[in-house]
This record gives sequence, structure tokens and C-alpha cells, in this order.
Amino acid sequence: MPLMNAKEYEASLRELKLNVWMFGKKVENVVDNPIIRPSMNAVAATYEFAHYPEYEDLLTATSHITGKKINRFTHIHQSTEDLVKKTKMGRLMGSLTGCCFQRCVGMDAMNALSMTTYDIDRKYGTEYNKRFLKFLEYVQEKDLVCDGAMTDPKGDRSKAPHQQDDPDMFMHVVEERKDGIVVRGAKCHQTGAVNSHEIIVMPTISMREEDKDYAVSFAVPSDTEGITYILGRQSCDTRKLESGTMDRGNQIYGGHEALVVFDNVFVPWERVFMYKEWDFAGQLVEQFASYHRQSYACKAGVGDVLIGATQCIAEYNGAQKASHVKDKIIEMNHLNETLFCGSVACAAEGHREPSGTYYVNTLLANVCKQNVTRFPYEIARLAQDIAGGLMVTLPSEEDFRSPDVGKWVEKYYRANTAVSTEDRMRMLRLIENITLGTAAVGYLTESMHGAGSPQAQRIMISRQTNMEEKKKVAKKLSGIKEE
Amino acid sequence: MSRRYRIGVKYCGGCSPRYGRVQAVAYLREELRDSVEFVSYEASDIEGVLVVTGCPTACVDLTPFKDRPVWVVTSRKDAEGFVETINIMEKRNGLEGNI
Repeated sequence: MPLMNAKEYEASLRELKLNVWMFGKKVENVVDNPIIRPSMNAVAATYEFAHYPEYEDLLTATSHITGKKINRFTHIHQSTEDLVKKTKMGRLMGSLTGCCFQRCVGMDAMNALSMTTYDIDRKYGTEYNKRFLKFLEYVQEKDLVCDGAMTDPKGDRSKAPHQQDDPDMFMHVVEERKDGIVVRGAKCHQTGAVNSHEIIVMPTISMREEDKDYAVSFAVPSDTEGITYILGRQSCDTRKLESGTMDRGNQIYGGHEALVVFDNVFVPWERVFMYKEWDFAGQLVEQFASYHRQSYACKAGVGDVLIGATQCIAEYNGAQKASHVKDKIIEMNHLNETLFCGSVACAAEGHREPSGTYYVNTLLANVCKQNVTRFPYEIARLAQDIAGGLMVTLPSEEDFRSPDVGKWVEKYYRANTAVSTEDRMRMLRLIENITLGTAAVGYLTESMHGAGSPQAQRIMISRQTNMEEKKKVAKKLSGIKEE
Repeated sequence: MSRRYRIGVKYCGGCSPRYGRVQAVAYLREELRDSVEFVSYEASDIEGVLVVTGCPTACVDLTPFKDRPVWVVTSRKDAEGFVETINIMEKRNGLEGNI
């Protein structure tokens, strides 16, 4: 059965020969690096919980290729029920890890490619879909993590790819060989990149014919020669290097992003899914983005953790009965469930594409993500409001453990006498972690810019709104006669 | 009672459960320890399936179980009701007729 568990996943990562850099040094042991390790734990959770009877209904699916039970993160959606279960899986995983678990981006890339490759083949008589399905079956059988790599550096935003002073600002083809192609460029903000077995590359924007060398999509093993990973910093990241673990906030899980450089990387033809079909670049971008905007149901899951932490700290502070505290927590829940509503709605209103893949309602997916660019910030603000200023003035764990001053921290930072000072400190650190520490990368700024910045959704909402029909009804009801 | 019924347990995925599903099944295991053996829904020779869902939406696909008795528990109260159901069924001597 093609379902790895957490230990098998970790062992599979140890076999990769990744070229990873952080703080100016090459990381020789990626899996055990204390800064990277929590992000590996979060991806491993997508494997481990797939074996739990109480979660498997969401975390597993039946492959439409082989009929075997597979991890849903490798599944191509075959119905609106599948789309809804994808939404629910995202919330579940967010609620179990309290962070970005990194595996949705590859799932969204594969689902988008299942449609775009099919449509390219229909127009041009190519065989991209056949190649893609072979790759997909391999991913499903091996239960792999795929990084979905879309965002190019983009250089001067006023210029198209072919107009850039430095052509490498967009991933492009530099050589065509009998057995494949050679590409050069980079992908930014790559979530979970060093926890991935494969990298799926897609174009980052719609293109014109002049940009055809940049219209390329492919998949390569993550340790292919010529690929370099440079880890992104996160606020408070070096707390993971300290002797104690309390100040990390989240003791188990985390996320990461990286700049991934492709320096003349060879891609065999059987792994190329788009090659200079510039007129399909925009479609692939839109389909990937729409799926990925649905995926932000995960933030409702992280919100579940933050709301739980906020209720706890209200109780630890002895403030849980105050009416304004109760009301603020109600507001947090209201906002959080509204996030979930958008993702469920775009899934339930999904439809079947010619390839057979089910695709979300794109208007509602964009509305979902637009809410995600805002509501986590308000939920985080309310959490900080209830937590109090101590969340950012709290002494370190080392002070708390100090034989000299620990007694003062213990004495003066105890609130509700039924709760230990240490537990109060731990809960404050978790709220800090999610709202301005390492996990805020995923919960806040990624909510803003991941799967497209707010304006990208507003453009899509504008395009898909039937304004003429709305005007027509307004005129009719107000007695205005159309000419 | 001569034997324990063998009932498979199938959970929903638990995206946002309104009660503790696993705890509810633990409660059932304890309450019905003399009359029911709870096993995986994929186990062989099960006599029925208990579907435990986190909310009344009950999004579990029931078609794989269409040939067997199925009970759906969507709340802690439902779990308590299931205990009563089994007790009544025991008096009637069998699961059949209680689908």
C-alpha cells in the first residue's frame, strides 16, 4: 500500500543529497538541523495522521489511476466531495500542527497540471498529459512530497520576462537537447522546499509569444544537480538553537521557505509538462492559484489553535469571565469560521473539467483567499489583546530556570493560583509564536501574499462578477427603462 | 449473553468536531465491553459498522457499508443512545432487523 508513515518519510529525506544553505554555511544534515527540524515534523504529520482511524477519512483517498489507497495530498480530485474533503483536510492539519504543514502546494500544482496538460494536448496534439500521469502515478506509489514552485524573482515588475535586463529573473529554457532541456532561473518563497522529494516548476505569469522560452513546466527530483536551496529567515528562528525549548512557543512543529536556484538544470523530456506553449501559461497560473486559494482553509485550523490558546490564557490570567473577553473570543470564532466557509463554498460549488479533474469555483476561491488576507490579522490582534503585554515582555526560559532570579519570575508572573507560572509562560509563548514569531510567517504574512497578494484576488473577483446583470436588476427595480 | 457482537468503527476525518469522537468510542468500548467488540471497519467478519462523525453533516461515504447494519453517531448524546440500542438489541437477540 503506497502510504508511508512519519518514520519512513524521515528516512526517505535522509537519502536526498540536497544542497542547502543557511546563515552563510552549507547544511550538511538537513533533517536533524534544529531550525529546519520542526518543519520536517509538520510534513511528517501529514504521513503519520493518515494512519490514524480518526483522521484517515480526510487524509487518504482512492487513486483514480490505480484504485489504491493513497495520501490525499497526492490525489487528483474526482468529485466535489473530494474538493470539500481537501478543504477539511487543510483545516484538520492546521488544527493539529498550529503551523504551515507545507504539503498542499504540491497537491495544487498536480491538480492544475492534470487539467492544463490535457488542454494543451487537445490543442497541439502533444503528450504532456500522458507524461504527467506517469509522474503522478510515481508520486502516488512512492507517497512523495512535491514542492509546487511558481513564484519567479520577476526582476523589474514593469517589464515582461523577455524584456528583463537579466533573463534569469524568470525561469527559462537555455538549451534544448535530444534527451531533454536545460533551464536556468530561481523560485522564491518555496514553502517546504527542503522537505520535498520533487520540485514541480510552473510559470509565474501569463505570457505572450515573445516570452515563449519562459513558458515551461516540469518536475525534477529535489536533489538534481544544479539546484541550490537558501533558507529564509523567520522572526525568532534562533530560539530553536537555545538550550531550553519553552521560548519556541510551538514545541513540535513549524514551517520554512527557501529561495531555490536552478543553475543550468537538466530536465529529461519525460518530465517536461509544458514547453513554449506560451498561450497556456496563464491558464496554469490561474488554475494553480485558484486551488491554492482554496487551500487556505489551513489558516482556520491554525486559528483553532490560536483561539484555544487565547481561551487558555484568559483562564490562566483569571479574565475568562469578563464580558468583553468572552465577546472577543466569539468574534475570533466568527472570523475563523467565515474563513472556513469560503473554502467549503468554493469546493462545494466546484465542477468537472474536460480532463475529468474537479476544479473549484474560482470566484468563491478568490473571495476565500481575500478574507484570508485580512481575518488572521484581526484574530491575531484579538489574541494579543486578551493575552496582555506580558506576551512580549516575558523573561526568557533561562531566567525562569535561573537559581538567582527564577524565583522572582515564578512569583511575580503567577496569576490564577490554580495554574503554574510555567504553564502561563508556555501559553503566552505559543500565542507569540503564532502572531509574531516563527509561525507568524505562515499565519500572517503568508496569509497576505501566499497564493497571490490581495490585489491579485481583487482583479479576479472583478473579472468574474456579472456587473451588467446586477445593474440591470437595479434599474428594473427602480423603474428605470432600458433603451 | 453468549457472545460479543463484532462491530467495525469508521470515523469521519474530524475537520472541526463538536465533541471528542475518540473519547466517545472509548466510552462505548467501556460501556459495552461485555457485548460488543469494536474493531476497524476494514476488519473481516464484522456484523455492522458504527460511523462516528464530529458533527451532524456526517460526511462519511456510507456506500461501502450498504450491505451491513450501520449506526451513525454524530454527538455524545448519540453515543449514549447507541448503548441503549445495543442493550435493546441484545434482549431481542441479534443485530438483524435494526438497520
